Amino acid sequence: MPLLSVENLCIGYRTAQGLLKAVEGVNFTLEAGSSLGLVGESGCGKTTIGMALMGLLPPNGRISEGRIVLDGVDLAALSEEELRAVRWRDVAMIFQAAMNALNPVQRVSRQMTEAISTHRPELGKEELLGQVEGLFQLVGLPLARLHDYPHQYSGGMKQRAIIAMALALNPKLIIADEPTTALDVVVQDQILKETKALQDKFHMGIIFISHDISIVAEVCQHIGVMYAGQLVESGSTEQVFYSPRHPYTMALVNSFPTLTGERKELTPIPGEPPNLIGVIPGCRFCDRCPRSEAFCKLEPPSWQEVAAGHRVLCDHC
Amino acid sequence: MPPQPAPINVPDPILVLDRVSRIYFTKGNIFGRGAQRVVALNQLSLSIGRGEVFGLVGESGSGKTTAGRLIVRLEEPDEGSILLEGGDITHLKGRQMQDYRRRVQMVFQDPYQSLNPQVSIADSVAEPLITNRIGDPRDHLRRVLEVLDTVGLSPAEDFVYRFPHQLSGGQRQRVAIARAIVVQPGLLVADEPTSMLDASYSAQIFDILLGVRGQMGATIIFITHSLAAARYLCDRIAVIYHGHLMEIGPAAQVIANPKHPYTQALIDATPKFGRCEAVPVYGTLLSAPREASGLAGCPFFPRCRRAERLLCSRSYPDWHPAGPEQAALCHFAQPDHGDGEPAPGEACRLGGG
Repeated sequence: MPLLSVENLCIGYRTAQGLLKAVEGVNFTLEAGSSLGLVGESGCGKTTIGMALMGLLPPNGRISEGRIVLDGVDLAALSEEELRAVRWRDVAMIFQAAMNALNPVQRVSRQMTEAISTHRPELGKEELLGQVEGLFQLVGLPLARLHDYPHQYSGGMKQRAIIAMALALNPKLIIADEPTTALDVVVQDQILKETKALQDKFHMGIIFISHDISIVAEVCQHIGVMYAGQLVESGSTEQVFYSPRHPYTMALVNSFPTLTGERKELTPIPGEPPNLIGVIPGCRFCDRCPRSEAFCKLEPPSWQEVAAGHRVLCDHC
Repeated sequence: MPPQPAPINVPDPILVLDRVSRIYFTKGNIFGRGAQRVVALNQLSLSIGRGEVFGLVGESGSGKTTAGRLIVRLEEPDEGSILLEGGDITHLKGRQMQDYRRRVQMVFQDPYQSLNPQVSIADSVAEPLITNRIGDPRDHLRRVLEVLDTVGLSPAEDFVYRFPHQLSGGQRQRVAIARAIVVQPGLLVADEPTSMLDASYSAQIFDILLGVRGQMGATIIFITHSLAAARYLCDRIAVIYHGHLMEIGPAAQVIANPKHPYTQALIDATPKFGRCEAVPVYGTLLSAPREASGLAGCPFFPRCRRAERLLCSRSYPDWHPAGPEQAALCHFAQPDHGDGEPAPGEACRLGGG
C-alpha cells in the first residue's frame, strides 16, 4: 500500500466572482521513502494541494470531492480536531518564505520546544531541549545559536531551522513548498543535499513543490506537471523531463536555460493560463498549444499511458 | 597589495569602472559600539563594450547589486571613478545628472514593488518622457504603444489603461522594461529581472532584453546569481565574490572551462538540468569555512579547498590570463599548476539518485 494516495481531488475557492476551481481531478500516489515533485506556474494549484494535505486551506477554500489517504486514513474526511493531531505528527510542511515562518519575538529554541511539547506533553523540559539539540545537529546548525532570535540567523540558517521543525516529530510525509526560492545557489545546493540525505535516513515521503524544474529534477524521483488546476503529465523524472510528451511540459523544458549542451534558443511559452472561474469544457492548454485542433477546445482530453508509469493528459500524443 | 584591473582589452568601451569601492558602515548600538565596516565593493575595475550584454554573477552579498546601483548612480562610490563614453560621471550634479539619468536606465528585481499600483500602464510608461521633457506630449501615447509592442505586450491598446494588479508578474516586468527603454537609454542595468518570476516567464524576459539590444543597440548589464541564465543571455560575464572580481571572460568559455575555484563552486551548486553527461564536479568549496588570518590574502581563501595557507592567506593573488579574453584572480589558475582537470564527471544527478 502506498504511503499517500490522492484520489480525484477537487478543491474550490469561493470568490466574489464565483467559484474558483483551483484543483480538479488530481490523482497521484507516493511510496514511503520516495519523492514526488509537483511543478507548474504560479496559480496552477500546486500550493493549494500542499495546503490541503496539511488541512490548512484558507476559510474560503474547500475540498469538494476526492480523498487524501495517508496510511489508510482519509485526511479529507477528518474533523478540524482530528486533523490537529495528524498535522505535524504525520504530515509536516516546510513553508515557502522561511524568513516569515518563524516568530520574530521568540527564541528559536523556545519555538521548537513548543512545537514538540504540543504533541508530546509528557516530555520534560530537559528532554525537550535534548531533542531540539539533536535536531540542530541533524540539519547542521551550530548549537551555540540555539537560543538566538530568528533575526540573528542568515536566510540559509532560518531555512535549516524550519526543516528541523518539520522533522521534529518524525513525520511520515513532508511537504516542501518552494523551500529554496529565496536562497542563493550555494546555500540552495546545501539545503537540497541535506534534505535528500535526511530522507534516505528517515525513509519519509517528500512532496516537493516548485516552479523551478531544475530543482525538482535534481531532488525527485517522480514528477507531476500541473497546469491550470490539473495534473497534465506524470511519470519518473527521466520520462517526464527527457522525453516529455505533453505540449506544456515540452514548452516548460524548452524555456529553461541550462549550463551544458548547446546554447540553443529558448522558446518562451506564449500567452497566459486561463481563468479558473467558470467552466472550461476542453483542454486547458489549447489556447497556448502549438498542436491544438478545433476539437481540443470542446472535448476534455483523456489520459494516455505512453510508457510504463508515464501518463499524459493529451489526445495528441 | 590592492587588486589590479583584469588584463582584458576591451576596444571602444561604453562604460568603465576604475577601481571603484563602496564601503558601508553599520550603526552598532546607541553608543556606536559594535559598528562595522562592510566593504561591498573592493576596487572593482571593469570595462564594458558597446552593445554588449554583460553579466555580473555572484551570491547575495557579493556586491553585484551594489555595482549596479553605482552604475546608475543611485549611490556614489567611496573611491574610484566611473566613466560613461569617456566622461567621468562619478560625482555628476544637476543638469548633467539629469541627462545621465536618461542615458542609463535600470530594471529592478521585483515588478510587484517597482510599479505604482495607482498609476495606469500608459501613465507609468509615459512618466520618464514627461520628467525628461522628451517629445511632444501629444505624441506620448503613440510612443507608449510603440514600446509596449517592443516588449511583447500586444495588442498594446488592450494594456495601456490597465493597472498593475490586472497583470501577471511576467507582464509587469515587461512594463518595467518598457518604462526603462522608452527614453532610449544607451545602457540598461537589469538587476535579477527574473528572480521573482515563474521560471516559465524568464525566457520571455530574456528574449525581450536581447530584442532591446538588437533593435536599439543598447548595452545591457545583467545582474544575476544564475550561471545558466547568464550563459544564455550574456556575451561576457564577471564573477564577483565579496566585492572582489574573481574571474572574467566570455560567458560560454567561463562556464565550460572555469579557472577560478569560486566559479567552479558556483557551477557545482547549480542544479543540473537537461543533458548533463559532461558536467564535471570540481568540489572546490569547503563545507565549513576556515579561519582567515588577515585581510591581506585571497578573499576566497576561507572557503577554498585548493588554497594553501602560507600562500593564499598572506598574499593577494595576481591575474592569470587564460587566453586573450578570460582571466582569473587565483594563485593556482595557471595551467601548469594543475588547476585544470576536474574530477571526471559524476555526470547526471537527475532523479534524486
